Amino acid sequence: MAKFVTIGERLSVTAPTVNRAFASRDPEPILKRAKQQLDAGAVYLDVNIGPAENDGEELMKWAVELLQSNFDNVPLALDTSNKKAIEAGISVYNRSKGKPIVNSADAAGRIEYVDLAAANDAIVIALCNGEGIAKDNDERMMYCQTLLERGMEHGMEPTDLWFDPLFLVVKGMQDKQMEVLEAIKMFSDMGLNSTGGLSNNSNGMPKNIRPIMDSALVAMAMMQGLTSAIVNPNDLRLMETIKSCDVFKGNTLYADSYLEL
Amino acid sequence: MALSGIQIFKMTPKKNCKECGCPTCMAFSMKVAQGALDISACPHMSEDALAQLSEATAPPMKTIKVGTGDSEYSLGGETVLYRHEKTFVSKTRYAVSLCSCMSDEEIDAKIEEDKKVDYDRIGERMCAEMLYVNYAPNSGVDKYVSVVTKAAATGKVLVLGCEDAEAAKAALAVCKDAKPILNGANASNYEEMSKIATENGVVLGVHGANIDELYDTVAALEKLGNKNLILDTTGATIKETFATTVQVRRAALKDSDRTFGYPSIVNLAKVAGGDRYMQQALVSLFTMKYGSIIVLEEMGYAEALPLFGLRQNVFTDPQKPMKVEPGIYPLNGADENSICLTTVDFALTYFLVSGELERSGVPVNLVINDAGGLSVLTSWAAGKFSGNSISKFFIENVQDKVKTRKVIIPGKVAVLKGDIESKLPGWEVIVAPLEAVQLVKFLKDMQANGEL
Amino acid sequence: MPFNRKPQKFNAAIKTVEIGSGDKTVTLGGENVLPFYSFDGEIKNGPKVGVEITDLGLDNEIAGVKAYYEGASTIGEIAKKASEMEGADFVCLRLIGGDPNGEDKPVDELVAVAKEVADAIDAPLVIEGCKNVEKDSELLNKVAEALQGKNVLVMSAREENYKAVGAAAGLAYNQKVGAESAVDINLAKQLNVVMTQLGVKPESIVMNVGSAAVGYGYEYVVSTLDRIKAAALSQDDKMLQMPIITPVASETWSVKEAMATEEDSPEWGNQEVRGISMEIQTAAASLASGSDAVILKHPQSVATISKMIKELI
Repeated sequence: MAKFVTIGERLSVTAPTVNRAFASRDPEPILKRAKQQLDAGAVYLDVNIGPAENDGEELMKWAVELLQSNFDNVPLALDTSNKKAIEAGISVYNRSKGKPIVNSADAAGRIEYVDLAAANDAIVIALCNGEGIAKDNDERMMYCQTLLERGMEHGMEPTDLWFDPLFLVVKGMQDKQMEVLEAIKMFSDMGLNSTGGLSNNSNGMPKNIRPIMDSALVAMAMMQGLTSAIVNPNDLRLMETIKSCDVFKGNTLYADSYLEL
Repeated sequence: MALSGIQIFKMTPKKNCKECGCPTCMAFSMKVAQGALDISACPHMSEDALAQLSEATAPPMKTIKVGTGDSEYSLGGETVLYRHEKTFVSKTRYAVSLCSCMSDEEIDAKIEEDKKVDYDRIGERMCAEMLYVNYAPNSGVDKYVSVVTKAAATGKVLVLGCEDAEAAKAALAVCKDAKPILNGANASNYEEMSKIATENGVVLGVHGANIDELYDTVAALEKLGNKNLILDTTGATIKETFATTVQVRRAALKDSDRTFGYPSIVNLAKVAGGDRYMQQALVSLFTMKYGSIIVLEEMGYAEALPLFGLRQNVFTDPQKPMKVEPGIYPLNGADENSICLTTVDFALTYFLVSGELERSGVPVNLVINDAGGLSVLTSWAAGKFSGNSISKFFIENVQDKVKTRKVIIPGKVAVLKGDIESKLPGWEVIVAPLEAVQLVKFLKDMQANGEL
Repeated sequence: MPFNRKPQKFNAAIKTVEIGSGDKTVTLGGENVLPFYSFDGEIKNGPKVGVEITDLGLDNEIAGVKAYYEGASTIGEIAKKASEMEGADFVCLRLIGGDPNGEDKPVDELVAVAKEVADAIDAPLVIEGCKNVEKDSELLNKVAEALQGKNVLVMSAREENYKAVGAAAGLAYNQKVGAESAVDINLAKQLNVVMTQLGVKPESIVMNVGSAAVGYGYEYVVSTLDRIKAAALSQDDKMLQMPIITPVASETWSVKEAMATEEDSPEWGNQEVRGISMEIQTAAASLASGSDAVILKHPQSVATISKMIKELI
């Protein structure tokens, strides 16, 4: 079994520092955050440049080259609604440490992102959503099938589609949580990979609570077969939980110092 | 091996027609993979898909039975490549090689020699279970039949190494009831050999000039309807033999290639070049890596002692500890007056302790308790090697059979000394050192000090 | 449909560790396929065979071993002959005489022995202590110091003394270090972690993950080796990618099958043949599960095992 893949989420335009750095092409803050995440054990880094409608192509190339040249070709998830920007990023991407991830497709307006990933031999995060949030798992699996078929039609390996059940916020959608976990089990039973923005569950909760909720959820989700998550790797409790779950699942071999690896 | 949901999904029409009762083909595939629904619930599956599915649900490697009665053995049926993944189910069997090119005296001598190695190791009979009888065309069919008859008289399972149809028929006429193996099919004679094997109800061995030819010949035999096969993976060199043997097993178990899902024969008499020591290195290698039957030039005690130990270790169930029979084992000529030393029935403990005791040369009665096959500390913690159980065992099984009233207990359960002494009146309990390796010096010191 | 070959290619490899100096060095490890699976990919450095000698000389050795060393009276001469044995890649000197429960030779005397051996041979050298944790901490430290520049493999650092042995051999005196555990895969990994945290380079560590004679709980050895190779190659576990060295002779020549004389067990036949058989079969099984080096004693075993390796690669 492969180790759980953590995708670091901290390079995002939603953070004002990062947003400013992207806008002014200032490497300093970007590299600092990237290093913090990698030191904490992130496998992939998500690069969210926002819509970037005007300068997306140039910006994504700049970001990919900046990160890969500074961090030994670190594998990246390219995150923007600007398709051309993703293609531009892949054109300068070095695959020696892992294929690029296209973040993300869904089963409605963004289904063409699957085609884009297929055409570029990339991994794609496939959000099991249509026009809105799936109302139940029957619908969720319908979207899953649509996305999977699309990928297979375009010659993708099923394992290159990482299905995202869409983690839902507890405050407001507490009754849907088990359903999301069941969806992960279904992906896993099908032999498919899965990922998602796990910390969405704890949105709006007090800051000291969030790591606890995120850790509990990641443990439950890994039990269900979740193979990856988009997370804040600098959340120590969360990372320790993931490493411990990897031991229980036999994904890594235990040694007393396993948390330090 | 079961198919995964995704493999089933690929065969569905993907129309989401809901005729199976599931909302999507995806959901249907998942239910089939879990065993909750039968594939036939889908009215749109193609013939081809159904055939593929039934093939895929069959075990990855066939279990082939040879021999009869006490000499019946199962070969193959493995599901894993490593013992730690689950367990190996069919242990390697060994065949000593005879040839019709040998003189009668040589054959008689070899059969006699082979009979000498037949002993018990931790409750398991150890001997070469088979004889491989090779047909040398210029010795003639009559000679072959006479060798086969002699070999059959041993009661061991025969493997007939014979690619000649007439010789095979004649040999089977005298031994087919004992369910031998006819190891004689190749790319040019397989149709005729398959017919002979089927008519005589015996397993057919298949050989190829290389792995591809072997594969094609097996596929052709299966097409004829013969799936009672064993694959001779011996190549021209040691390297090729290893490559073929490993790839055949791996293709079957890891890559679900059913054509190679059969047990193997590795003929070391052909590749070891008559070098007794090279043969030993190779028999160990192929016992580890995927020989179902290994053919040897000879199986003396020198070969047997390490080999059967290795086989017993490798084929033990990782979930079940190996146990020795509880009882009194007199060592170094011990008699009823010799001191007792007691420990648990975990086979590894027994071997370590008895080995050290033998090295000491001091006569000792080794008393093995029934401790559930666990090590000293584990069985003590589980209450299976306690003051009660040890004293009970001595009262019931030991006290009347020995005159000594001294017993040495393992250093790791030194705490039991007082308890045993109170429950086993008249006995003196002596505590051994912590590790088995220290026993030699300990006993020699006791002997020197007149404490025995 | 023809046979479809599916080679197991891994994106990971066993690290290489070089021992010895000058022209005659050997490289352990480097493979990125399972043991002897040359049909999956090239095996650059095949497994290596070492010859065991001890500071106790030849008195207790079996006839064939004594015969091979005939004429050699000093430890230096013995070592020279060992290094010239057919099939030998390196020499392993065991300093058993240091054992406080045995001869309890002083450290200085043993260091002198090690020095004499190192000076007598060009072949790479592996030095094993006496297995007593306290004594080895001091002994191996001094040996590592005395043999600076020879690039020897010092065995072994264990859980109890890895700091002393690892720091001396691996850091201060720039030798290679053996990390020893007894069929405990988690400890094997942990030792590599703590030694690297100490500052010892991963390329300076060789593992001895435990050994036994076949028939004596050998299944634990098999599964330990199998699982380490699987984690190293398929999970790319960097802390288990150190090459593995397995002492075989020290296990196989002390079991009943090799010790019982022909008078004791007449039906078993010649004692020496039995001992060699035990050594060869155990070595072959260890190599089949992934040892990158085995340490043997009898010239026949060394020749046979090294020939088997050549045949398979």
